[in-house]
Amino acid sequence: MTAGQVKYHSVVVSVGEMAEEFRSAGILVLFGEGVPEELADVSVVHRADTTTGGLAPGDVVVIRDERIEVLAVGDVANENLSNLGHLVLKRNGETAAALPGDVCATEGPLPALVPGDEITIVAPGGSR
Amino acid sequence: MAEYRKVKVSKGSGGWGGPLTIAPSDDRPIIACITGGGIHPVAQRIADLTGGEAFDAFKSTVKFDRMACAVIDCGGTARVGVYPMKGVMTIDVHPTSPAGPLARFITEDKFVSGVKPDNVEEV
Repeated sequence: MTAGQVKYHSVVVSVGEMAEEFRSAGILVLFGEGVPEELADVSVVHRADTTTGGLAPGDVVVIRDERIEVLAVGDVANENLSNLGHLVLKRNGETAAALPGDVCATEGPLPALVPGDEITIVAPGGSR
Repeated sequence: MAEYRKVKVSKGSGGWGGPLTIAPSDDRPIIACITGGGIHPVAQRIADLTGGEAFDAFKSTVKFDRMACAVIDCGGTARVGVYPMKGVMTIDVHPTSPAGPLARFITEDKFVSGVKPDNVEEV
């Protein structure tokens, strides 16, 4: 198991038809359940069961085998996450968020998600 | 038949695009609020001035082809593109500019950002 505190844990419910277009651009778009259909088309819809605290640089997003380190968190990213289960994760290697909703992370592949996959966000700390 | 009025929505500080004229009709009476946390003051003001119906799209379903406009609080990537792509006049309360995979759909005649209630005027 991953060291550190689990801040957020969620399970993928559905993957929209256009989500691949974002993924191929290095962008993961999440929305919580209950999102309007037109937004579900472009996003990965998920059901969170653990939501404690917001994202911060240094946190690690774990999807499939990828451990994705958060580098920067935009001004409205945490508000989006708590209100709507909405997260825009960009594997662009940037250390400053260009857009207010962005969560920037280390460069690398974004695994394709399927229903049932888990999304875990872990705060650093504990035994590493 | 409801009586509707038009409003002009201009970009706010640091915003982009517009101005848009929002004119609800019997076919498109809905001022859709896609912000989470209830009806945003910008959506409420548009509804009050036009006679359109403010509607929380996260609470119940509304078809995009019934929307006179969509009020969003998008941080710049997803919602900014989806509603213009669907042909819906889109008003972002955050000061964003076209970006992301859907940037090609975000045009000045469909999108305005950085909007505050004061940027909504009667025509």
